[in-house]
Amino acid sequence: MAKKIMIVDDEESLIELVTAVLEQEGYEVIAAMNGEEALEKLKTVKPDLILLDMMMPGMSGREVCERIRKDPKTKDLKVAFITVAKFSETGRDVLKKMNVLDYITKPFENEDLVVRVKKLVG
Amino acid sequence: MNTDFLKEIANNNSLLIILKEIEYSQKLEEIIKSVERTKVCYVCLSKPYADVMEDLKGRGIDVTGFFFIDVLTSHYKEPEPTENCIFVPAPTDLTAIRVAIKKAVEEKKRNIVILDTISTLLVYQETSSIVKFTHHLLTEESQENVKKLFIALKGNETPIEDSQKLIKDLTMFADKTLELS
Repeated sequence: MAKKIMIVDDEESLIELVTAVLEQEGYEVIAAMNGEEALEKLKTVKPDLILLDMMMPGMSGREVCERIRKDPKTKDLKVAFITVAKFSETGRDVLKKMNVLDYITKPFENEDLVVRVKKLVG
Repeated sequence: MNTDFLKEIANNNSLLIILKEIEYSQKLEEIIKSVERTKVCYVCLSKPYADVMEDLKGRGIDVTGFFFIDVLTSHYKEPEPTENCIFVPAPTDLTAIRVAIKKAVEEKKRNIVILDTISTLLVYQETSSIVKFTHHLLTEESQENVKKLFIALKGNETPIEDSQKLIKDLTMFADKTLELS
């Protein structure tokens, strides 16, 4: 069965790119355009990895991650950030505390995305 | 506070300074006095330039090295042109604020930027827009050696939930977060 990757980003073109790249590698991709939509979808699907953007309208990636960790049903899901944001050392500590496994900086090379996703979910 | 605070400025390029509303005035004075003899770009987000000037002078602060950016005055009257201030058309125009800061830093050679108070922007903007604005300011390549101090109020007139969200998100990008009380 294909592993499921959820991508949460308000940039449609980024979602399309990530979907195309990961589907080609045999992953099933679930897309959400914002945090609210992602949390709603997580009520019914259990992705093997969530790729979160940091700066989105409405809920930020940090807030979405915080909510994922607070919910007993989703708290153990694997989360990585995929973002243009440059986190400070303090920010990186916050990510560690939220058990964020990786952060991929935009723009990224498609091959690099695949390598890092494989490393996280196989 | 002066010595410790100056150390924090020396060791970090960006500081998110969280103040309680009740202590805002006193703590802000201490912060400004710590940097009063340096080349400061003071971004007035919560009060017009004229009021800020009057207030600072009233507190005996030497503002000769200060350059101001005012985001409020143009909103309700035609500002009188002043050599040491850029008047931005509206607090909603974050791009114009960024351009004004760039000008203050590059042309007026200011090396400390104080944004007083970043949380006030919540009155006009969504949290995500302010976070993006802040992130842009922090990642401006031409301003790598410029110190940026973001003053934020904890529980001010904007909904507390919004200011808490903003503070938590800005913490992700600021080199250090100081809660002064």
